[in-house]
Amino acid sequence: MSKKLTYQIVVLFLLAILLSILINNLSINLSRSGLQLSFSWLLRPASFALAENPLPYSPSDTYAWALFMGWLNSLKVILSSLILATFIGVFIGIVRTVGNSVLGFLAAIYITLIRQTPLLLQLMFWYFVAFLGLKDSIFMPIKGMISISNKGIEFLGLSLSSEFSALLFGLSVFTGAYIAEVVRGGILSVSRGQWEAFRSLGFSEINGLFKIIIPQALPAIIPGLTSQYLNLAKNSTLAIAVGYSDIYAINDTVINQTGRTIESFIILLSSFFLLNLLISNLMEVINKITLNSKKI
Amino acid sequence: MIKFTRNIKRTLSINLFNGLLTLAILLIIGLGFIFTLNWLIFSANWKVVTLNLPLYAFGSFPVDQRWRPALWIISLLSLSVITLIGPNRKWLRKSLPLAWIATLPLGIYLLSGGLGLPMVMSRHWGGLSLTILLTECSLLFALPLGIFLALGRQSELPLVKTLSSIYIDSMRAVPLIAVLFFGQLLIPLFLPIGVEIDRVWRAIFAFTLFVSAYIAEDIRGGLQAIPNTQIEAAATLGLNQFQITHFILIPQALRIALPALTNQAIGLFQNTSLMAILGLIELLGIGRSLLANPEFIGRYIEVYIWLASVYWLFCTFMAVLARHLEKRLAIQKTNI
Repeated sequence: MSKKLTYQIVVLFLLAILLSILINNLSINLSRSGLQLSFSWLLRPASFALAENPLPYSPSDTYAWALFMGWLNSLKVILSSLILATFIGVFIGIVRTVGNSVLGFLAAIYITLIRQTPLLLQLMFWYFVAFLGLKDSIFMPIKGMISISNKGIEFLGLSLSSEFSALLFGLSVFTGAYIAEVVRGGILSVSRGQWEAFRSLGFSEINGLFKIIIPQALPAIIPGLTSQYLNLAKNSTLAIAVGYSDIYAINDTVINQTGRTIESFIILLSSFFLLNLLISNLMEVINKITLNSKKI
Repeated sequence: MIKFTRNIKRTLSINLFNGLLTLAILLIIGLGFIFTLNWLIFSANWKVVTLNLPLYAFGSFPVDQRWRPALWIISLLSLSVITLIGPNRKWLRKSLPLAWIATLPLGIYLLSGGLGLPMVMSRHWGGLSLTILLTECSLLFALPLGIFLALGRQSELPLVKTLSSIYIDSMRAVPLIAVLFFGQLLIPLFLPIGVEIDRVWRAIFAFTLFVSAYIAEDIRGGLQAIPNTQIEAAATLGLNQFQITHFILIPQALRIALPALTNQAIGLFQNTSLMAILGLIELLGIGRSLLANPEFIGRYIEVYIWLASVYWLFCTFMAVLARHLEKRLAIQKTNI
């Protein structure tokens, strides 16, 4: 017992020494640069413009408000990619499991291409090639309803910037490949007998899949899905590569303007903590709902 | 291929709708294939790739010294091939892990110079050789750290356990770019005046901090998969706590965690591309700076396809290597 206690005291002591050295260095460096730790600058006018702001914003608004806009922009792109990625992932996952062999082969190519190349490269491809590459031509698959150009996507009066659209598609197609594997694993975890049972009851393949198999696969799917959603949230910070003003990009601008590195880093971490909390709580609620519906 | 055609035959025979669907998809694939091939051969201008191959490989490394990173990459590749073939001589097989570790100081020596070779500043390191250096260094540093963290999380000492858990969980909650950003902008603030760490080493430090948390969780999974009876058996044989950890737990945990660790390595290789937006000119960074060159303006598709194929090739190669290793370790297990 006393041996254990000694070890722990030694660990604590070493950690305290390390921390005090680091904090001492930090305070010396900060006082040399004349920037003492403070957050009052957050209330000063930001004086930079934003390409995208979900709520009214002008350069005369405060840094705090600009950062909040960034947080909302992050939330916007995360939630919309989350929905699109789920659709892509579920579709590809089902095709990989039960589709015909040619479709399955295509899905396998998609998954290897997406998983074996960096996301950052994919995002740049979507932005510089897929959207900006359109130059002045406007692509209208359904006249009057949707039009795609280098300015972004117009969909029934809803206009999405090209930066947002590139990020949306890049993140969704990337995360979709991972969700597909989660869905496939979930479907394979349901026993073969269930398939035979619904077939013998006269369900069609698609009907049986969605009414019998997927509800039973959900408990196996949701934990994997949650971690993919959290990854998506983390990956959304690559927005800076395509010029979308998310929380990280705005933090970067703020640091360039004010030199408040430590404070901005603390803000970045806490806003991320909030986003993570939001997503995991949301998934917890969904998990509870699916578990409850299973009991009935 | 035979299996593939047999599958098509089977699919075709199931019903007419499925058959028509298959035909339609095959038609679309065929058209897409012809269109892509036509573009690749006739429309694309590959000058941006072919004229700059040395840049993609070595960055702005001095031209007369390029043999150094080249030698390093060749030695890594040949070592991979040796590992893949699996030499028959036992001493050669036993020294393979040591040889892999030795490639790291060799690489650092060849890149930075000294001891008879002219020094090359790290800002001239670039391209594929920098990407490989970042990956290999971070991985080799993160592995022992990850093992320590995993053991710490399983420790009986509450303080060690809590500290490791806090570190692992908070690192896993943060986006990588934030950690790298910390490495580039915040580490200098925590160092005493006059002490400076080079940009490349700060990046490696940040990658190590980040990846070790993920590796720790993978190894913890491996540790938990080892049955308790093993520890009891080892204790009965008179092994002490250190010996049990060193000879019984870690080797088995590493073997179980190998597929997950491979994924981490592949992920790390891809994630080094993030340094392109944080000021290092690695493989993706070279692509970006070439695209900013007026001579190659607008050649996005060519550069991106080329870079994607290089990343794809290396990642697939790593996956093949790891799968081979898994198989060999599994055979050893049945021999016992």
